[in-house]
Amino acid sequence: MKKVKVAFFDFSCCEGCQLQVANIGDLLLDILEKIELVEFREVMSERGGDYDVAVVEGSITTEHDVKRIKGIREKAKVLIAYGSCACTGGVNGMKNNFDLEDVKKYVYRDKSDWFNTVPTMAVDQVVKVDYYVNGCPVYPPEFVRVLKCALRGMPYKVPDYAVCVECKFNENECMYDKGVTCLGPITRAGCNSWCTNNGNICYGCRGMVSNPNKNGQKEVLKKYNIPLDWIVNKFNMYNKAKESQQV
Amino acid sequence: MKRLELVDSPYLVREAKVCEARQMTKSERYLKIVLKDAHDLDHEPGQFVMVSIAGVGEAPISICSSPTKEGYFELVVRNVGKVTSAIHKLEAGDTVGIRGPFGRGFPVRILEGNDLLFVAGGLGIVPLRSLVDFVIDNRRDFGRVNILLGCRTPQDILFRDEVALWERRIDVNFSCTVDRADPEWKGHVGVITSLIPGVDLDPDRTFAVVVGPPIMYKFVIKELLKKGIPEKQIIVSLERHMKCGVGKCGHCQIADYYCCQDGPVFSYDEIKENIEAL
Amino acid sequence: MDKYYRLNKPECREFIAGLASKYKVVAPVKKGEKNYVFSEISSPDEIASGYIPTIIPPKKYFFPKRETLIEYDIRAQRQKAVMEYEKLIIFGVRTCDLAGIQCLNMVFSERPRDVNYLIRKNKLIIIGMECWDYCDEHAICGLMDNHQPKGGYDLFFSDMGDFHLIHVNTLVGEEIINSVGVFSPADEKDLEKLEKFRERKRKAFKTSMGVSHQQLKDIFADAEDAKVWEDLGERCLSCGNCTTVCPTCYCFDVIDEINLDFKTGERFRIWDSCQNEDFAKVAGGESFREERKGRQMHRYMRKFKYPLKKYSRYFCTGCGRCSRACMADIRIKETIQEVIKEKGLSNEKAGIS
Repeated sequence: MKKVKVAFFDFSCCEGCQLQVANIGDLLLDILEKIELVEFREVMSERGGDYDVAVVEGSITTEHDVKRIKGIREKAKVLIAYGSCACTGGVNGMKNNFDLEDVKKYVYRDKSDWFNTVPTMAVDQVVKVDYYVNGCPVYPPEFVRVLKCALRGMPYKVPDYAVCVECKFNENECMYDKGVTCLGPITRAGCNSWCTNNGNICYGCRGMVSNPNKNGQKEVLKKYNIPLDWIVNKFNMYNKAKESQQV
Repeated sequence: MKRLELVDSPYLVREAKVCEARQMTKSERYLKIVLKDAHDLDHEPGQFVMVSIAGVGEAPISICSSPTKEGYFELVVRNVGKVTSAIHKLEAGDTVGIRGPFGRGFPVRILEGNDLLFVAGGLGIVPLRSLVDFVIDNRRDFGRVNILLGCRTPQDILFRDEVALWERRIDVNFSCTVDRADPEWKGHVGVITSLIPGVDLDPDRTFAVVVGPPIMYKFVIKELLKKGIPEKQIIVSLERHMKCGVGKCGHCQIADYYCCQDGPVFSYDEIKENIEAL
Repeated sequence: MDKYYRLNKPECREFIAGLASKYKVVAPVKKGEKNYVFSEISSPDEIASGYIPTIIPPKKYFFPKRETLIEYDIRAQRQKAVMEYEKLIIFGVRTCDLAGIQCLNMVFSERPRDVNYLIRKNKLIIIGMECWDYCDEHAICGLMDNHQPKGGYDLFFSDMGDFHLIHVNTLVGEEIINSVGVFSPADEKDLEKLEKFRERKRKAFKTSMGVSHQQLKDIFADAEDAKVWEDLGERCLSCGNCTTVCPTCYCFDVIDEINLDFKTGERFRIWDSCQNEDFAKVAGGESFREERKGRQMHRYMRKFKYPLKKYSRYFCTGCGRCSRACMADIRIKETIQEVIKEKGLSNEKAGIS
């Protein structure tokens, strides 16, 4: 079987999700039997030409990014949005809370005129995305699952139920029982409640379930005395770029 | 952990071979299948099988051939999801997994000796064909036979050759309607319910067998009741999400019925009180 | 004649330690501030005292949350139905959870039988533990008539103060007693004491719900159109907590997973929930329970109405887990009260003519 050519690309991100590839462990060797890595800045320097599958990390934040991602989309048969930044805009979306000129000045000071910037966008706000691997960082077992689907030309459906489902499977003590606010009830599962298993809260890095019960959620917030803007802000940490589609 | 191999697991699939496969429309594919472990599937009209593609999953598919056709069975699969799209890739000679037949089929022994009114909407003709063919192959055992078929457009009519034969038979009254006609269409235009008032039938002796998309049932049943057909004599086949086929996984539950075991065929009086059914 | 043994409290530690040296033992262990989980123990000190129902009931040992059903090899067109099991002693199972296991037994032994479940169930040894009072305000085991032991265990412990009284229900139980020599036969006086305790217990478990065990099925018989479902639908977050923690919820999804060789793989089942958005959605996209109110109604009916026809029993054990786990404070007690209020206990339903 001919190996499928896979290229990793990064836009605005910390490249931490690419680092997760190294955490896949033994399975990585099996993956490398199936694919030929033609581009992967984290671990290799050579730059190949053609590729079948583009794995895109990071969000789109400049005009140059827009052109570049469109070019990648044209070349790639399959495009995988990889990590929160690519899937929902991620933490880079926080930029959209401010005036763009102010942001530029704050970051680049007197050189701000040298740079251009556009509001942060998830990859699918610019080009068509075939597969999503949500998460900050991605959950390696889910990435392997998505990659298998992509290589076989099969759809992958991101679970459309709350992180609570998996968290309860794992018999974690509910964060709300501990008096801590957690975004599990509105966030899409698929990470095996990775954070709450390890004592952390859910930050909503996988985006919102498709049909949250907004009024019900508000009641719960009232019960725990949590102001609505507080939770919206918290959720926007990862999802600001897609805000208009959610709240 | 100890590991056991089970020989009697209800999840074990039977090996079968596709002996004929062809595309019927853009979204429907026809498959003729023979089992490797048995001469015959031994099913009742209206039952279904779980079709298994290893590595992809299983999907419940109605059997569309009559048990009178021995040595093989036929399926028509609409491409709507992951599994059905994999089934669409099957060609003659390919191996496929089968579990079943499952469920309660059409009550053929009760239908015998009575007049029949078949009402098929869209893909509903697929499960219904297993009974229509059964009745035609045992034509003498039944009374008057009416078949009403409704489709979106003339292109959506499945089994066109067979439907043409039904149309010509003197022992079957056949009518067809389409929602949207094309220039060549000479038949009825309109929803299927518009055909019902015109059918000449004796309500006490008639069993109506209705299969179609969920939205169709309410309207068709209303018309049938208007005709005076008793609730017990209106037979429907319901579609539900199914995962196991053996009455466990819960996906197909309709109140206290498991559609995969207690159905998919029900009489209207069994489910009319059930707010979830129709 | 029923067989009872006596185990003095100091020797109980010895018994647990003895068991743990011979078998894999799981028991309720404290988790966080107010939760408990069934988990493997190696010493008696790990067992929680005064535990309330664990986050997930012992159903997880009978019906694991993820279980392989089929292994296949596409190349050789081979498939194998498999199951995994482990000999395990489950210690400290309350009567509500014994009832839950009995419900699952019925479901999985209904034909076509679920061989995976039935084989595994017989490898598990159950040691029950009596409650003398409600564990908290959410439990309705009294109403569900599951506060008394009604079989479903190999051994059953009743805490009598300074000693445990142990009822032997099976030969397997007797063998365990014999294998750890710390028991002495119970005498008349012990049994009289048990009777006294049970008498007191009957009073403790009086229900204040205003409805009897028998009447419950009558008020739920035509509760489909009750308004309370709308209220629950507005509040429910569809987090699935209620079904995951329910001892009698057994719905599952079946999923294929192929290995990276793209030749071998497995078909497994994994717990699913009728509260999830896609649960009743067919491939064509139509969902037969699109609204939350319908999904909540379905959940309650699956406890108080639907199973009565097939299994002649309620599928609510009264453990109260769904109420404890609900983010939106949907409480089973309140729901029942609402249904009573709406549907009323008519004279006929109340048994008064």
